[in-house]
This record gives sequence, C-alpha cells and structure tokens, in this order.
Amino acid sequence: MEKLLGWDEILPGACLFAFGEEIKENVAQTPRDSRKYSDNNSHQAHVSDWRVTKPVFNVDHCINCQFCWVYCPDMSIISKDKKMIEVDYDHCKGCGICAEVCPTPVKSLMMVEEFKSEEETLAAWPEKKKKEAK
Amino acid sequence: MAKKYDLQEVEVLDGNVAMTHALRQAQVDVLPAYPITPSTKIVELFSQFCADGYVDGEFIRVESEHAAMSACVGASAAGARVATATASQGLAFMIEVLYQASGMRLPIVLCLSNRALAAPLNVNGDHSDMYLARDAGWIQLCSFEAQHSYDLALMAFRIGEHVDVRLPVVVNQDGFITSHTAENVHMIPDEKATAFVGELEVVNSLLDNTKPITYGVQTEENWHFEHKARQHNDLLESKSHIKKVFEEFNEKFGREYKIVEQHKVDDADMVIVCIGSTFNTSSLVVDNFREKGIKVGVIAPRVLRPFPYEEFAEALKDTKVVACLDRSSPNGAVGMLYNEISGALINNEKTPIISNYIYGLGGRDVTIELLSSVFNDLTENLKAGKLTHKVQQMLGLRGPKCEYFGEKG
Amino acid sequence: MLEIRWHSRAGQGAVTGAKGFAEVVSHTGKEVQAFAFYGSAKRGAAMTAYNRVDDKQIINNEKYMEPDYVLVLDPALVMSDSIILNHKESTTYILGTNLTRDEVLEEAPFLKGKRIHTVDCMKISLNTIGRAIPNTPMLGAFMKVSQMLPIEEFKEDMKLSLKKFPQKIIDANMDAISQAYGEVS
Repeated sequence: MEKLLGWDEILPGACLFAFGEEIKENVAQTPRDSRKYSDNNSHQAHVSDWRVTKPVFNVDHCINCQFCWVYCPDMSIISKDKKMIEVDYDHCKGCGICAEVCPTPVKSLMMVEEFKSEEETLAAWPEKKKKEAK
Repeated sequence: MAKKYDLQEVEVLDGNVAMTHALRQAQVDVLPAYPITPSTKIVELFSQFCADGYVDGEFIRVESEHAAMSACVGASAAGARVATATASQGLAFMIEVLYQASGMRLPIVLCLSNRALAAPLNVNGDHSDMYLARDAGWIQLCSFEAQHSYDLALMAFRIGEHVDVRLPVVVNQDGFITSHTAENVHMIPDEKATAFVGELEVVNSLLDNTKPITYGVQTEENWHFEHKARQHNDLLESKSHIKKVFEEFNEKFGREYKIVEQHKVDDADMVIVCIGSTFNTSSLVVDNFREKGIKVGVIAPRVLRPFPYEEFAEALKDTKVVACLDRSSPNGAVGMLYNEISGALINNEKTPIISNYIYGLGGRDVTIELLSSVFNDLTENLKAGKLTHKVQQMLGLRGPKCEYFGEKG
Repeated sequence: MLEIRWHSRAGQGAVTGAKGFAEVVSHTGKEVQAFAFYGSAKRGAAMTAYNRVDDKQIINNEKYMEPDYVLVLDPALVMSDSIILNHKESTTYILGTNLTRDEVLEEAPFLKGKRIHTVDCMKISLNTIGRAIPNTPMLGAFMKVSQMLPIEEFKEDMKLSLKKFPQKIIDANMDAISQAYGEVS
C-alpha cells in the first residue's frame, strides 16, 4: 500500500529517486534483479494483471532484429548484447505491439490468451512454409 | 446547410459533450484546436460533427495551443464565428495570444475545462488555469454543472459578439467534475438555439477589400493607455449586456442565470464564497445546516470577469462571517476570491469577518464533510466575534495544519 | 438517492456502462449522474466508475460514496478488498466471476456476511459480443437483482442507447443482457 506523505514530508520539486540508496556500482552491469530500486520506482509496480493477452516468444524464428525491443512502450523486451532474451511479464501490459512489428515470415512473438501456457503455445506454433522443390 | 441533429428533450451528457452541442448549434465557422485533457472531447466531437455534416464550419488541426489561439485571432478578425477548447498547460501556452485576442477586441469563445497546472503533473480539476487567465481581458463565465456548460456556451456568443462588447469569452467548467460527469441536460432544439445565438455581426473584417485594416497596431506611451482603458471600460460595461442576455435566455428557455448566484444568502449569518461545482455541493451542506437552524448560505460568481463588485457588496452587506474558498494555489498571497471579496466589502458600512481557504487542488475531493468543517469554523468565528484562526487555511491537506496571515484571534 | 460503484479495468466498459445505465434510467424521469475516477489510467488498469440516481436534481459533486450497489466487472478485482471500501450494511455486491459463491467466499473471506450475487459476465460477453466487454451483461444482472426496471423495458431503452452501433452488436448485447439476467445467482 502506497504511503501518503504530509506536505512537510514530501521531496520538494515533485521529484522521486530511482534507487533506494546512492549507486556505487555500474548499474548497467548489475543484473536487473540485484538492482536496488526505490519503492516508488515504476519497476516495483507490476502490471501483469492488466493483460488480457500476452506475447509468447519463440527463439527458433527470431532473427534478433530488435524491432520488438525498440517499439515496446514499456521496456518489457529483455535484450542483451543485441539478442532478444525474453519478455518481462511483470511489466508487459499485453499491448501486442511487439508481435505486430515482428518481421519474421512466421512470427517470433505471438499474442495468446493469458491463461495459455508457454509450452502449449510453442507446441502449436505455426510452421515455416517449406520451400517448394523445383 | 448543416444536417439537423436528432436530440431528445433531456439527454444524459457530460459538460464537454453538452458544450460541443452548443458550439454545433451556434454553427461555429472556425474551430482551431489542439486537444488536451480534460477538454479533449470537445475538440474530438466538434471535428466529428464537421466530418458528419452537422456543422458547416471548419475544424483546423494546429501544431500547438499557441497556434490554436493565433488561428482563432486570424479567423475572428476575418469575420468568422470562432471557438476553441483547452485546459491547463494548453491555456498556459495560449496566454500570450489571449491578451492579443482581447486587445484586438475579437469575440472568440474559449471552452475551458479547468485543470491543475504542472509541476507536479496532474490531469484533474482545479482553478489554476481559470486564475491564470483572469487578467487577460476576457469575459469569464463559470459553470457549476453540465446544464450550465451548455447554456453558457450558447450565451457566450451572444455576449461576446455584441457590437458594444466585442470581447472574447471564456466558459469555465470544472475539469473531470463537470466536464466528465454525465447528468440530465435539457436541450434546446437546434432551430431555436441557432436562432437565439443569431448571425454574427461582422465588424471590421480583415477580408473587406473596400476597407483594408490592420489589427493590433503598435502603440507606445502616447496611445497604449487609452486603448487599455477603453478595453477595461468596455469589459466592465459588458455586465449590463450579460444581464440582458441572461434575461432573454430565461424568457425564451426558462432557465435563470444571474451575475452572482446565491443559495440562502439573504438572512445568512455565515456565507461561503466559491466558484464552480463546489457551489452545488455547498448548497447541499447549507441545507443540512439550515435543518439544524444554523443560518448559512453560499454565493458564487457566475461572471468572474467583469468582477461583480457591486453585486457582492449588496448580497453580503449584512453577513457576519464570510469564508472565501479558492481552488488554486495562491503561491505567496491570499487567494484571489479573498482579495476580490474583501475589496468588494471594504467600503460597506459593516464588514464581516473574512477568512480564506485553499482547497481541492489537483482534483482533491471536495466532500460534504470538508465543507461542513468550514461552516463549523465560521460558527466559532461568529461566536467569538473575530477570527479564531489565521486568515488562510488549507482544507483537506495531509500533514501539520497549514495557516497563514495575521495572528490568531 | 441510489448510489452505485463500478470496479473495472480501463477498457472493460465501466464508464460506457455507467453512462448507458444513466441514460436508460433518465428515460423514467429520474435524475442521474455517471462519473469515473480518471488518473493517467491506461487500458487494463484498475479503475472505478459511479452512478447516482434520485428523484430530484443531484447537486452532490463529492467523489466520496457509500454505495448501495457494488458492481465488479473483472474476476481478479473481486479478490481485492478495495471493493468493500466505504461499504454499509445494506451494500449489495454483484461480482463478475467464473467462481461459485462458496469459492468466492473462500478466496475473499472479507465478503462473508455480505449480500453477494455472482454472474460470469466475462464468459457471457465473450460468448455473445465476442469481446471481453462485460458491462451490458452486468447491467442485465443488476436489473435482476435490483428489480429496478422490467427487463424488457430496460432492453428496449438500452437499444436506443446503443443505436450508433451496427444491428449485430446491438443484438449481441441484448443476448448478453438476457443471459446475465437469467444466470445471476
């Protein structure tokens, strides 16, 4: 539950700190889960229950073009060394933009109902069209 | 010829939609706008009316609010009936051109869905933008509910466009409270509403090639004062014309508007002065106190500019205790209403005890409980015959009590 | 004065539902209010909408409300105790959920001893309208529970409210209302 502060307690300037304490390490090199985000950092706010459908990632089709990473409005595509890793389901709101911009012939990201499992979805993934033999 | 819109006698509309119907019925020629919450619906719906053939006029998409008001100025000087809508930061960005519009005496109608000003960023309602525009030389009308938003928007054209007035008009409504609360609104059939607003009498059109004209010329110390004084004079004199339009509206459509709206003020010992939807909620609180035999009332300016100095002086001449409620941060002073009301009452034979409350900023809920607490404070003042607290207090604020100006009683 | 609070996610049609309901009720000569809490809410975020109904003009603009009815559109929000905020003894809840009454009470024990009705609005809206917009089925359920208007009269009026939509959508909404009216328990 959000603690509501009095006028004498708030940080002047309508400011919020991103981290709970002073940063001494290189944050970019620190794994996300080890970063000391402050309580009011939006990273701490999970929005997974906003979704009706979720994107499922299929690495077999991905060409690491990074389109999904660029277009995701909520930084919920986790990419490292220019390689698509996974979807951050804590912060993905299920907007479907990643799947929309995915350019591979068979999509590498598909929107499916929230309750469907990843295994089930991957097992039923559309197949690549085989090149017709001449 | 614009298509007739199928309206029922009573529609359930929010203030934004109600106002847009007024703009449609006034058959606005040009509406340049840059949409901003909570006034977006007005712009969206008007452009839809244009696209669907319910308005013959033109909707202009512009690149900013500054451009929106600039286009309003151009179109109005050309002789068109012009309106736009905005709020908050959008109004702030228009400010420079608001002064141009009033200085050029152009009868533009601005629908303002009042919203807080950043920072901190906030989309909800308070009167910061209304207060920001208050010295810009525009007539300012205030709605308390969706019905008023509709009626006042219709009347705004009649008021501003009159050849003796020729001044732009802001129609204020409380953002999200009035702009987004759908309620019963009694509609005037298209033909009657359009006939009431009438044709715009074009004055000194930029497009009149027989009499080429320049608007907004440069004046320095030898001319400037006279222009500003004339504008001030005509703005003050517009009050009598506003009254006439209110009266005519009442005769035709049976809804009464006054320069200053009152609820049980006549015999009241204690009165709250406020603006906007707070008047309605306060009226409910007044009735609750009256049931307990406590003589309280509420009063609000329907017309904020020209400021109804005489009307307030008369209405509050026998009142013993007055609280002025300002829904805008005064940032280093007493609130605007406190200043204006004190000014209006200072030359009366008797002056009441006057206090100032800052409330409802950024959409903070204005509850019956909070408003009751104001009347409880006033009761203490009445008993003591003087202020029992400092002049200015914050109503409904978290943290230690905030009070300023003057020593405690 | 009758007061209703809707709990929904932005995009599930609570505001449209509250306005549609207000419009229908206004046709019976009542005075109505429909409003919502807006923040920087985006599709999917939890939000609330409100109705007030009275015989005389409603001049109360406070957002504070002790609701007579609480309508919950989203199954997950049923489990949030914010739905009992400012409740009173007579507050009646209509919960849009696929769970039975007993299952709900097990998951949300704070609802024990309260007046509860359940209806699977989401399933009904998916089956009839084809989209997760459970507002009209909720209104069907509300008509059954509140007995405010005869259901056929309500549907006729609701058709007027929906007149800007294609006939297929209007019919689907009518189906949704009827189903929810029949199924709410």
